Amino acid sequence: MEGNFISKLFEPSARAKVWRIFIFIIVIFVISGSIAGGSYLNKGVDYLKNKTGISINLPGLPEIPFKLGLDLLGGTHLVYTADMSEIDNADRASALEGVRDVIERRVNVFGVSEPLVQTNISGGDYRIIVELAGIQDVAEAVKMIGETPLLEFKEEDTAQRELTEEERKIMDDFNTESLTKVTEVIAKVVAGEDFATLAKTYSDDDNTKDNGGELGWITANDYPQVAGEVENYEVGDTSKEYIVAENGYEIFKLNDKRVKTNPFDETQKETEVKASHLLLCHNEIEGCESGLSKEDALAKIKEIETEATPNNFTDLVKEYSTEPGASETGGELGWFDRNTMVEPFTVTVFDNQEVGTISYIVETQFGYHLIYKEDERDIIEYNVSHIYVATISEADIIANDSRNWKLTELTGKYLDRASLSFNPNDNSAEVSLEFDSEGSDLFADITGRNIGKPVAIFLDGQPISIPTVNGQIFGGRAVISGDFSIDDAKLLAQRLNAGALPVPIEIVSQQTVGATLGHVSLQASLKAGIIGLILVALFMILYYRLPGIFAVVALMFYGVVILAMFKIFSVTLTLSGLAGLILSIGMAVDANVLIFERLKEELASGKPSGIAIRDAFERAWTSIRDGNVSTIITCVILYIFTTSMVRGFAITLGLGVIVSMFCAIFVTRNLLQLVISDKISKNTWLLAYKKTIND
Amino acid sequence: MYQIIQKRKIWLSISGFLVLASIIALGIWGLNFGIDFTGGSLLEVKFRDDRPSVVDVNTKLGDMDLGSLIVQPVDEQGMILRFQEIDEEKHQEVLTRLNELVSSEDDVVIETEIATSTDDMASSTDGIEILTTKVNDSYVEELRFDSVGPTIGAELKSKSVTAIVVVLVAIILYIAWAFRAVSKPVASWKYGLAAIVALFHDVMITLGVFSILGYLYEVEITTAFVAAILTVLGYSVNDTIVVFDRVRENLPKSSDDFEGTVNTSVNQTIKRSVNTSLTTLLVLLSILFFGGTSIRDFVLALSIGVFVGTYSSIFLASPVLVLWEKLGRK
Repeated sequence: MEGNFISKLFEPSARAKVWRIFIFIIVIFVISGSIAGGSYLNKGVDYLKNKTGISINLPGLPEIPFKLGLDLLGGTHLVYTADMSEIDNADRASALEGVRDVIERRVNVFGVSEPLVQTNISGGDYRIIVELAGIQDVAEAVKMIGETPLLEFKEEDTAQRELTEEERKIMDDFNTESLTKVTEVIAKVVAGEDFATLAKTYSDDDNTKDNGGELGWITANDYPQVAGEVENYEVGDTSKEYIVAENGYEIFKLNDKRVKTNPFDETQKETEVKASHLLLCHNEIEGCESGLSKEDALAKIKEIETEATPNNFTDLVKEYSTEPGASETGGELGWFDRNTMVEPFTVTVFDNQEVGTISYIVETQFGYHLIYKEDERDIIEYNVSHIYVATISEADIIANDSRNWKLTELTGKYLDRASLSFNPNDNSAEVSLEFDSEGSDLFADITGRNIGKPVAIFLDGQPISIPTVNGQIFGGRAVISGDFSIDDAKLLAQRLNAGALPVPIEIVSQQTVGATLGHVSLQASLKAGIIGLILVALFMILYYRLPGIFAVVALMFYGVVILAMFKIFSVTLTLSGLAGLILSIGMAVDANVLIFERLKEELASGKPSGIAIRDAFERAWTSIRDGNVSTIITCVILYIFTTSMVRGFAITLGLGVIVSMFCAIFVTRNLLQLVISDKISKNTWLLAYKKTIND
Repeated sequence: MYQIIQKRKIWLSISGFLVLASIIALGIWGLNFGIDFTGGSLLEVKFRDDRPSVVDVNTKLGDMDLGSLIVQPVDEQGMILRFQEIDEEKHQEVLTRLNELVSSEDDVVIETEIATSTDDMASSTDGIEILTTKVNDSYVEELRFDSVGPTIGAELKSKSVTAIVVVLVAIILYIAWAFRAVSKPVASWKYGLAAIVALFHDVMITLGVFSILGYLYEVEITTAFVAAILTVLGYSVNDTIVVFDRVRENLPKSSDDFEGTVNTSVNQTIKRSVNTSLTTLLVLLSILFFGGTSIRDFVLALSIGVFVGTYSSIFLASPVLVLWEKLGRK
């Protein structure tokens, strides 16, 4: 018996190798098993502990949960397109990233375990894909993402258009009517009719008309025009003629006037100061272009300090100050009160400095200052009522028409924080904005180049506030004022905080799976998988008998390893993914079937078991390889060319095919080698083959 | 030994007939593309109690400008509504209206109950509101909602076509490479082409069946279906390769002619082919019957494809190969 001789000759080392592989397989099985079923094992250990009362602390296993896709957990898959028509080609990709960041922040509020927010540029379309698995209220989520406000800052388009004839007529008609109205009202005021009643009837200022037109206590600082007008009125006086103001006509009544005092200590008068300053910034301050280190700046300002006198102060400012525009303004700050400047500045000017002197060196967040206090005076407060009759100007009409605004780079993307605040003058609700450092720079640029011109704040494509820029604004703070109720302003601030979008988005596709359906699908697939597994196992054992049992063992090994792999690589299991997994159970047997059929042939031809097994594997291998390669090719292509739902299928099937190939050539072979001796191989019933006569 | 190759006329006629029938079905009815490809919305809901009639739903939603609204009852209490692509606002409106449709009568009862049982009028009205909304919420449950814009649909269509073409090309290349050493008496690329003939046959028949199912039962072609077709491509070629592999192995040592060798090879592999597809079909059928409705069409496509793919690897690919060899000799 040649075969016996050969197999005996090789047995010692070959046998040992088989055992080594067997042990290796067991080790992999145990490791995979503890990864795949960690939670169950832990439960088992706990149960044992409780049951036996043994208080030994067995080490627990890490519990990694399976990552379930939204079609199993319930959830929604949303595709948005971003409207990039107003963005330069070069900036579109980054704008899209901006949208993603904002939506991500938005989505994190929902408390979804692992929200997915992806960008996708396809053809000319810029898309955001949002997947929220396990979310309870999909409708609310969609609403909240969609509702996210779009905040834009726009400046006037220098290419101003002419008013159309129709628009001009509307404007003229309106203004003629206003003039008639104000003429009528002034006559009544002069005739001594009750001012409050007239205000209630005629004023176009919706905020004050019901209070008899009362503006409250104002100062020259906040309402320079009004204060300038009523300055010379006696208390109780009204305007004798209507005043032509920027957006209409005004008629005033001075109710009272007083020297402003500290709101907490009425004996203490409040003053305002006129001053100019010299600023040296240094490289620790963002946006500073002086090129000076902090030490250098300090040394230099000390040098300047020794030279400075009230007479040469303006010249020194023009020469040295790093404040933008200082060479023109001479650092002149005009009149300001205690609430205007940063604290060190205020403390110096108001509490520690005489009029006509130059201060010590003051350090603030902008750098080092020298301040020349030019004058100080009491603040006079006027209690004024007014009747306002609105007119419209060309600019109003054009301002309301967004086509004549052009986008600036500043958008809600750069917003750090928005909060509800109140206008100190009329207590109306406003929304204060704070920009991040980049946004602050942009805002400074925009205000710098639009001094004296309006800048519009657009919300969701509508202008909500069109303030005129008085001077360049540093520090990145802005206020949106409009006709807000407190609730409106609060809501707007909340929405802005949650994230403003740099470009508008539109939902183009939505796939939502209710939690119930997801749960049902999961249960059903698990059931189907188990039934499928049992059927396959039964078939294999009944048909192939002993090798069939090995195939089932290999299949279980395969099942445990693939589940562990899903956990390790955190593969998202979708419904189609589970289908792929179950399908791979069927396919996993394929390699075994190929090998067993070959083995039967080889054994039938009378070969000794060792040789038969080896030959069977060798011959079956090309078929296994070629067949599986074609499936893997398909999976790769499926993965590349399709979207998430089908991808799950491609991943699980692909992984399944690879792992099952490994199981067949490793586990099944090892078991066969281990168990099937020549003696067993002669048992035709156990191995389910018939001896052929020809060999 | 079965005389499979020898009786090839029978098999070729069966295959030819089935493919022809499929082509005719596709010609007449075409494919019933789902909203994945055409764009549109699909809403599946489950009613807690009685399901309203299709007519009621149609009238209730009639003035909402939903495009062509198709309402289809499913299972005991479910309903699938198909209409054009809509935004979130309209989506919610549809749900609200469905709620109204089934909840209106019961609400009256609840309202009166509360009104009589509570003394304080102010709190009773509040009570009604809270209660009715709660009741409303649970009348209709949204199982799933898909809404796909037309651009996405068109893009998906072209992507699917690309994927199929790429898979086909990759498979031909792979087979040609795998059989590169075989040249006598049939060139290696002919194996590839014979496998493609089998693939074409499998895909056409699967499409044909779905064309008929689409016509009769409104079964839709979705992206999942494309995935199924691609998987069938991979599977079918896998089967065919195993047979050809045996031919490749037997050819050098066979004393028989080409026809005889191929027949022997087919016989040697037939058990494997049948057993493998049997195990695969076992799991597929278990998903088909127990795996829930959502992937039923997908699994059905796979099952048909696997079945036909096994048939074609035995009864079509090899006979075609032999036929080709015969024609070549003439």
